[in-house]
Amino acid sequence: MALQLSPQLRQRFEQLKKRYPVRRSALVPMLLYAQDELGYVSPDLIAYLAEELHLRRVQVDETAAYYSMLRRQPAGKHHLQVCTNVACMLRGGYAVLEQVRQRCGVPPKTPTADGVFSYEEVECLGACTGAPAMQVNYDYYENLDARQAGELMNQLRAGKKPAPVPYASGTQLGEPHPAEVRVLTRRFGLPDSTSLDTYLKHDGYQALDKALKQMTPEQIIQEVKRSNLRGRGGAGFPAGMKWSFVPKDSPKPKYIIANADESEPGTCKDRPLMELDPHQLIEGMIIAGRAVNAHQGFIYIRGEYRYVLEILERAITEAYERGYLGKNILGSGFDFDLVAHSGAGAYECGEESALMESLEGKRGYPRIRPPFPAVVGLYGCPTVINNVETLSSVPAIILKGGEWYAGLGPPKNGGTRLFCVSGHVNKPGIYELPMGFPLRRMIEEVAGGMRNGKKCKAVIPGGSSTPVLTAAQLDTPMDFDSVAKAGSMLGSGGVMVMDEDTCMVDVARRIMHFYAHESCGWCIPCREGTTWLRKMLERFHAGGGRREDIAQISELAKNMLGKTFCPLGDAAAMPTISIVEKFRDEFEEHLRAGDCPYARAAAGVGR
Amino acid sequence: MPEPPKSVQLSVDGRTIEAPADSLLIEACKSVGIEVPSFCYYPGLSLQAACRMCLVEIEKTPKLQTACTVIVQPGMVVRTATPQVHDARKAMLEFLLTNHPLDCPVCDKGGECELQDMVFRYGAAESRFLEEKEHQPEQKFSPVVYFDYPRCILCFRCVRVCDEGMDVKALGVGQRGVRSTILPNRPDGTLECEECGMCIDICPVGALTSDAYRYKTRPWEMEFVGTPCAHCGDGCKTTLNVRNNEILRGNNRDKTGINGEFLCLKGRYAFDYVHHPERLRRPLLRRAARLEEATWDEALDFVARRLKELAGDPGRIGFLGSNRTTNEENYLLQRFARTVVGTNNVDHHRTADYAALVAALAGDATRYAASGDLARAQAVLLVGNDPTHNHPLLAWNIRAGVRLWGTRLYAVNARDIKLRRQATRFVQVPAGQEAAAVETLLGSAGNLPAEVQKALGELRAALEKESGVIVVFGAELYGGAVARLVEFGNRLPGHTRYIALGDYSNSRGAADLGVLPHLLPGYAPVANADARRRWEQLWNASLPALAGLNARQMFEPGRLRGLYVVGANPIKTFGRANTREALGAPELLVVHELFLTETAQLADVVLPVAAAYEKEGTFTNTCGELQRLRRALDPVDVRTDFDILRLLSHALEKPIPLRTPEAALEEIRREVSGYQVSLATLLTGEAARTAPVDGRLPKEAVATPAGLVFSSDDSLFTSGTLGRFSRVLDSVHERKLPRSQL
Ligand SMILES: Cc1cc2nc3c(=O)[nH]c(=O)nc-3n(C[C@H](O)[C@H](O)[C@H](O)COP(=O)(O)O)c2cc1C
Ligand code: SF4
Ligand code: SF4
Ligand code: SF4
Ligand code: SF4
Ligand code: FES
Repeated sequence: MALQLSPQLRQRFEQLKKRYPVRRSALVPMLLYAQDELGYVSPDLIAYLAEELHLRRVQVDETAAYYSMLRRQPAGKHHLQVCTNVACMLRGGYAVLEQVRQRCGVPPKTPTADGVFSYEEVECLGACTGAPAMQVNYDYYENLDARQAGELMNQLRAGKKPAPVPYASGTQLGEPHPAEVRVLTRRFGLPDSTSLDTYLKHDGYQALDKALKQMTPEQIIQEVKRSNLRGRGGAGFPAGMKWSFVPKDSPKPKYIIANADESEPGTCKDRPLMELDPHQLIEGMIIAGRAVNAHQGFIYIRGEYRYVLEILERAITEAYERGYLGKNILGSGFDFDLVAHSGAGAYECGEESALMESLEGKRGYPRIRPPFPAVVGLYGCPTVINNVETLSSVPAIILKGGEWYAGLGPPKNGGTRLFCVSGHVNKPGIYELPMGFPLRRMIEEVAGGMRNGKKCKAVIPGGSSTPVLTAAQLDTPMDFDSVAKAGSMLGSGGVMVMDEDTCMVDVARRIMHFYAHESCGWCIPCREGTTWLRKMLERFHAGGGRREDIAQISELAKNMLGKTFCPLGDAAAMPTISIVEKFRDEFEEHLRAGDCPYARAAAGVGR
Repeated sequence: MPEPPKSVQLSVDGRTIEAPADSLLIEACKSVGIEVPSFCYYPGLSLQAACRMCLVEIEKTPKLQTACTVIVQPGMVVRTATPQVHDARKAMLEFLLTNHPLDCPVCDKGGECELQDMVFRYGAAESRFLEEKEHQPEQKFSPVVYFDYPRCILCFRCVRVCDEGMDVKALGVGQRGVRSTILPNRPDGTLECEECGMCIDICPVGALTSDAYRYKTRPWEMEFVGTPCAHCGDGCKTTLNVRNNEILRGNNRDKTGINGEFLCLKGRYAFDYVHHPERLRRPLLRRAARLEEATWDEALDFVARRLKELAGDPGRIGFLGSNRTTNEENYLLQRFARTVVGTNNVDHHRTADYAALVAALAGDATRYAASGDLARAQAVLLVGNDPTHNHPLLAWNIRAGVRLWGTRLYAVNARDIKLRRQATRFVQVPAGQEAAAVETLLGSAGNLPAEVQKALGELRAALEKESGVIVVFGAELYGGAVARLVEFGNRLPGHTRYIALGDYSNSRGAADLGVLPHLLPGYAPVANADARRRWEQLWNASLPALAGLNARQMFEPGRLRGLYVVGANPIKTFGRANTREALGAPELLVVHELFLTETAQLADVVLPVAAAYEKEGTFTNTCGELQRLRRALDPVDVRTDFDILRLLSHALEKPIPLRTPEAALEEIRREVSGYQVSLATLLTGEAARTAPVDGRLPKEAVATPAGLVFSSDDSLFTSGTLGRFSRVLDSVHERKLPRSQL
């Protein structure tokens, strides 16, 4: 075989192959690491991996074909990935893309003649509070403008490598805003905050000790139920209740999964939780394992977060070395193993059942439910899957009590929440605020108010899947139930703030662009509907709209709503329906003007 | 035995219906005639819930639910015909059509397309879609399989049938989202697979088509003739689509017959041998050392004259029958040999020792298993053979059993056969040691390597916990070894049943109808005076009392003066040199053939005959299932073996009074053991079970000598001599691959 692999890569393959209960699980990480070395996924590589993993060639091929980070053609030495998703778009992402495009002078995903660069427009990178952002290979560069992007390219071409951001921009390391309540983020900013020693000095693993030695699994679940901790991944399902669904008498192994896929546009809070305090997540996972009698955990982390994965892996190694992971943890007789697993670019793999398929080395297609993962999950075994933030909340709950935690927020909405406030505010940032914190204060006080003194026009409260709120709804308290009452969802905590100059048709277009790109293609309404709507909204925004399109956009979205296989279809439909409903006049304006009035205004042509 | 499923009551569209518990709502609806539309749902394949066509209202659930995944519950209230449901269906179709070309007038599927039907029923054909459609050019996956991306509705039936049904998994899904496409398994975008065409027939639209048929005609211009496949011994029903005396397509879309929807490459496409340009159309007579065309009269006169000349020495005339001629023809051939010529020298290439099985069953007719039983067996013991290649339908059934019924497959084989993947236990024995393995199963310590003995011991222990095992064996076991296998099988708990695996479309029929030197029709021993007498009376002739020469003996030098070959190519099958000497140097060599085979080239006279798709009659598959052939084509210039033999019997002045295959079948049904089947069953195109038994078969009668029973071990891409004249079989590149790579 013509395939040349370095000894290091071969060694990594060996480790990967041994790491999972089912060997195929190693496939996606193997593809990604091999691509890092070979530049792309070659036919030889596919054949090689098929042999290594005892798969058929087409199984490797089809899996590789699913993930957007996996390439079939070589890229440039520096692959520039420019995010233009809503949060970045609001702050000039398209200008950055244009700069990069012009300088490369080649079509996307094609190396420049000298092989130095290639570029592509990408979906949300999880750097929304550092928008606009660009990833160069695995390095994050944030808060860019077109000029800075150009300068970065100059430096790269000159063989220099400007330092990437060390952690997500907008993370609060210094004095907290007085409104903030630091529970999960309280160790942020400590020197060497990722190290086990720092963690231990600040209450680290005490909750685990307590859970293992003083509590029964039932008591742990009770405590989490009492805390009113609701899932931070989007749906807000009560965590304690989810844990209690795991069948106790099942003879099968059970698994804990931390959902670190963080791809919901506007969301970038799991990233700092992992890069600044990885042991908090690890501790939460071991406790969850204890609660449901699972002995193996996986952190499924999006492929773009490579450096975060490396931080996690160092923390896991440290925890093994010091007896917090592995056999007989803290002398309790309880065993727990943990693996950090890399995805390779697919929003849908944040959906829990698709994530499990992906973790099994397959295309990230969601599964039919019921059965739910708590009963039939990873490898067909009972599985608890929770968001990183959900699991990171567990140590504090165990240590200080569910009641204390519940008391931090309004009824049924326990604790604090990390809000990623992005868009047209003066201080985009990731703020830990009590549940129920009013949206207006979040924007005006905590995030420094509207940029350039503009007026707020709309807010997407919980990631791009959630219906927009208008300026008139700014008094909504930010907890699950209140936001639901306002007709939207608290979602993932991605608060995207838009000022009066924002074109809502363009926002709708960009949102649909994302869902069309991320639709897995399994079911008809989402697969076809998102692309149809994307094309319509593109046409409409560019001035080619017809009057009947306005109603039709809304109608098609409603035809998707509630009929798709998984919630991604709803996620695409809901914001669209809300934008047409609440900003219909902007659609009318486009019709009247024959193009986008906001674009003309921005270009100085006047309205 | 699983308990009969309990049933539940539910209400659908205001009707109270009853359905088995655990059944899917879509099936429950269908059972009472309420059609819920679907694309992705396909019985027997994993659930998909992807097309969303089957959305229905269920009371107390807020969202519409997919009837293809919901299990019926007692008291459930379902509505399938509300405006909401109708609108949802229409919306799904509208979405689907955004990237569908709707080129029905030029699409091969036009007229039998599920999408076309659905659009007709639910509307949505007038498009509101103004944007550009996704497009990719048509791809040739293989000479058999073509893929037209724009027509694909991504129901993934093809992917699932190839993976789950075929266990080939040659198809995957490429890209994602709206650009998702069907991905063949080779890096250059082509297929390497079994070329079965299952994916094509299961495709609800015209996205997968076959080269054999593309753009040739429209479905409504053809006639459909269901008849058993001419190739292997499994006897699938293939529906031949005929126009102007040409077969354009084979499939089994109506899913009738023992094979349901299954067909392999041969049944689906290798009908083309009948149209091969090298088909013989005129009799050939050897004149001055060359075979030259002759008239039928000349040829038949010649044969009759030469047979008469040799008639004084009937013991020196031999007949070699076929694995592919009909039962009626087999019956006629052996009757011709025995009564017209007066010899028991009649044999054929035996590809399974059916006679040994009959003997071992000792008169118990209940111990034959049918092909379909394999799909619902608790356990199967397979000794020898490679069903994936030699018996594609039986392999399909075994896989279905394993997948859907929890069948446990135990296999003993010298090769690493594909079905190993389905096997609960697989024991690889040294080549040629299958019989020794049976001895080991019976508990005797043989010479097999210790680890093989141990593995066989474990396999036996596991089998002893099963009940009602179906034992399936190949030609590796013959004669006494079959008796020993049955001895072992009959010791297992429950009622063990058996299938002997023979190669070709009527291998079983050749044996059943007495194309054997020592056995009369129905396995009545020649040596048994009572048996002989019965047939003598019926045929009004006296029969030689001694068993005749077997095939190998016939080829011994000087044994025969005349060799009469019907539909066989012994030079190839018996691996003889290309000379008359290799056949024992007979003075007269007569061959009935479709093609100028190696054997035909040596003949004095070659009589061109009708192919299986050009005649009437019956075939018995290897499991004993009897099916009627329906003539799909009118024979052009050629004659059936039946007619030729009948005419010759007249010319030889010992006329056999059976004028038609129907008359022969009537006699067979009346007289041949195990063939007392219902004519109605046969006439409606169903398979009738035969179960020939003879409790009196003496051991010696089945002490089959070595070298007589052997399989040609055809692959999926070969079919004996016949297969060499199929362009389709020739065109697929897999045919050139070594067997170990298939
Ligand atoms: C399309 C889609 C994408 C999702 N992406 C994520 C994600 O990136 N991270 C996450 O934690 N949950 C995501 N979810 C939610 C998960 O399915 C799941 O509900 C969550 O991980 C459960 O954890 P929680 O209860 O702690 O929130 C997504 C859901 C959908 C439908
Ligand atoms: S809604 Fe359907 S197509 Fe969209 S991501 Fe989910 S399963 Fe895939
Ligand atoms: S022809 Fe048969 S084996 Fe080949 S891809 Fe289609 S279903 Fe699979
Ligand atoms: S090719 Fe046919 S069977 Fe396969 S997914 Fe497409 S429409 Fe379905
Ligand atoms: S399995 Fe045998 S009988 Fe069936 S289609 Fe194939 S060759 Fe013909
Ligand atoms: S048949 Fe139910 S979703 Fe396709």
